[in-house]
Amino acid sequence: MVLVIAAAFVSCKSQKATEGPIRLGIITSLSGNFATFGAMEVAGYKVAAEEVNKSGGVLGRQLELVIEDDASNQNAALAAAEKLVQGGAPLILGAFASSITKPLGGYLTRVKVPLLNTNSADVSITKPGTPYVFRVGQTTDSYADASFELIASFKELKTVAILVSNDALGRSTATSVKAKCAALGYTVVGDQAYDRGLTDFRPTLNAFKSSNPDIVALSSYEEDSATLMRQAKEVNLSPRMFIAVGATGYALPQFIAGAADAAEFVFSAAPWRPEARFAGAQDLNARITKMLGAEPSHHAAKSYAGILAAAEAIRKAGSTDREAIRTALREVKLSTAYGPVSFDAGGGFQNQNPAPSLVIQVQQGKFVVVWPKDFASGAPLYPTPAWEKRAAK
Amino acid sequence: MTFVAFAQTLAGGVLTGGVYALVGIGLTLVFGVMRMVNFAHGEFLAVGMYLTFALFRSFGIDPYLSLVFVVPAGLLLGAVIERLLLAPLQGAAEHAPILMTVGVGLILSNVLLLVFGAHPQTIHTWYSTRTVRLFSLSLSLPLLISFGITLMVVGSLYYLLSRTDFGRGIRAAAQNRDAAELQGVDTRFVRTAVFGIGTAISMVAGVLLLPALYVFPTVGGIFTLKAFVVTVLGGMGSVAGAIFGGLLLGLVESLAAAFGATGYRDAFGLIAFLLVLLVRPAGLFGTSRV
Repeated sequence: MVLVIAAAFVSCKSQKATEGPIRLGIITSLSGNFATFGAMEVAGYKVAAEEVNKSGGVLGRQLELVIEDDASNQNAALAAAEKLVQGGAPLILGAFASSITKPLGGYLTRVKVPLLNTNSADVSITKPGTPYVFRVGQTTDSYADASFELIASFKELKTVAILVSNDALGRSTATSVKAKCAALGYTVVGDQAYDRGLTDFRPTLNAFKSSNPDIVALSSYEEDSATLMRQAKEVNLSPRMFIAVGATGYALPQFIAGAADAAEFVFSAAPWRPEARFAGAQDLNARITKMLGAEPSHHAAKSYAGILAAAEAIRKAGSTDREAIRTALREVKLSTAYGPVSFDAGGGFQNQNPAPSLVIQVQQGKFVVVWPKDFASGAPLYPTPAWEKRAAK
Repeated sequence: MTFVAFAQTLAGGVLTGGVYALVGIGLTLVFGVMRMVNFAHGEFLAVGMYLTFALFRSFGIDPYLSLVFVVPAGLLLGAVIERLLLAPLQGAAEHAPILMTVGVGLILSNVLLLVFGAHPQTIHTWYSTRTVRLFSLSLSLPLLISFGITLMVVGSLYYLLSRTDFGRGIRAAAQNRDAAELQGVDTRFVRTAVFGIGTAISMVAGVLLLPALYVFPTVGGIFTLKAFVVTVLGGMGSVAGAIFGGLLLGLVESLAAAFGATGYRDAFGLIAFLLVLLVRPAGLFGTSRV
């Protein structure tokens, strides 16, 4: 009798793992400071899952997204991860912010569950990385590569002042920029990291003004980007170019809305734009816009590609076994509307998608791709005019 | 650093300090009369910001014009909270009002989260990024207006406290509640009114911050902390202390960010705070109560 029950229990359990929907674990920021980005990610994840499910799912099973909120903080993310791991998630996608993804990767590596990150840009997440952490999106190194290609195309620029948020993304951006400066012979005349949370940037921008840099290199999340540019206008800091090497906040539609005229001429590295010439890019943007109910940013497109990569890995693995999926992820080679996805970048990186970055610029209240030239939808407006010489609005 | 940049940094520090002072005044006033620290002070500021934000988004009402609505709303909100939630705690243990205000703050910030969502929001007015050129300084127009309104608030508060019977009643209640009661001051009404005024001032500070900053539901916590530093720096219960405390904090933070490292601005502000306390344990304008 006991045996029968035990047997029934075992068969029931094994049935659970091979039938019904495949429940992918997702950790993102639905509340807190990163909520805007979290909403973008969720829209991208959902569009991709819909697409996969419409074409028959994976291994004959539907994909189901189990979305957990990390409230924009690490502790909640780790708690969510534990819950998802206990719940049997074959792999986990997330988190949004670099400062959350880093410890999350550490934990999931210990418990041997693959983590597929889509949007964190801190280099150290995949360099050196761990065998369990994979990343679809670009790193700040990739952002800096594209940014400095553009910068190098303007010959007379020499000095750089760096202002970044004091967190994983900001520090990684500063490191990438400084490495580029050292390699290409630019002089760093200012290097500041600010603590996030209603910072008054005026004193720092003033100090920058005294050293009169050619380039002001930035990295901020959503809330600070608009405030920072507004205050740059206030203190009348006029370098030849503002460039947000850290992408993130400055590449959001909310940046243009928040900073309005102060956003004009600001360059930003960007991983993706709907104008990018990958098959289906415009269509993807339309689908995400519909899902989100608002204009999306590149974050959604990267998350979309993340689900496709996860689905492909499960297909290749032929099961939802975590080790099999991890091995299969290394074999993934996809071309998506976001661009090609594989996990094989060299140069000390591990499981990193070697995707190149674009540079965009705010022109007349719109993002225009200005670099690389063969992707560009417009010419860069350069040099940035001094504030007092701009037409009054 | 050039002289202009230095002067600009000083001016920026004073203007930011003005807002800190305003936030501190509300807290210190409530403490002076009620002998109670209001942990929901910053959340009232957040409510002020969101109220202004909503009026601007829904009806296009200019933030400064919305003061007409925000001030009465603040007085009312403060008075209702005092009557319903704080008055019954009279004579209760000291930690009771602390827990009550912490709870009120949590509820307020979560209501804001529920209504407005978690993401930071900004409003854009024609003057949000306008600057005023004074010699070779360029000063933020919204910060200048804020500073002007802060001066007006401080001026009218001074008039209220020193020149009117009601104000004398408030000061009497702050000095000795029983004696004031014996002299015919309705201290129950005074407490309600003072909490209302404190709330209204905090909400006004929120209104002044909105045009140049952004708002999110948990913004209050940052300002509760600033308000504590400002009031303790100036001396708990002293309005003049809060003004000087606010200006001092603004200046120190501004100079630290310009000359030191931006990341350590709060550290410098708090070091100045500790130094003042070492020399004057009751704060700049405080009298020791021991």
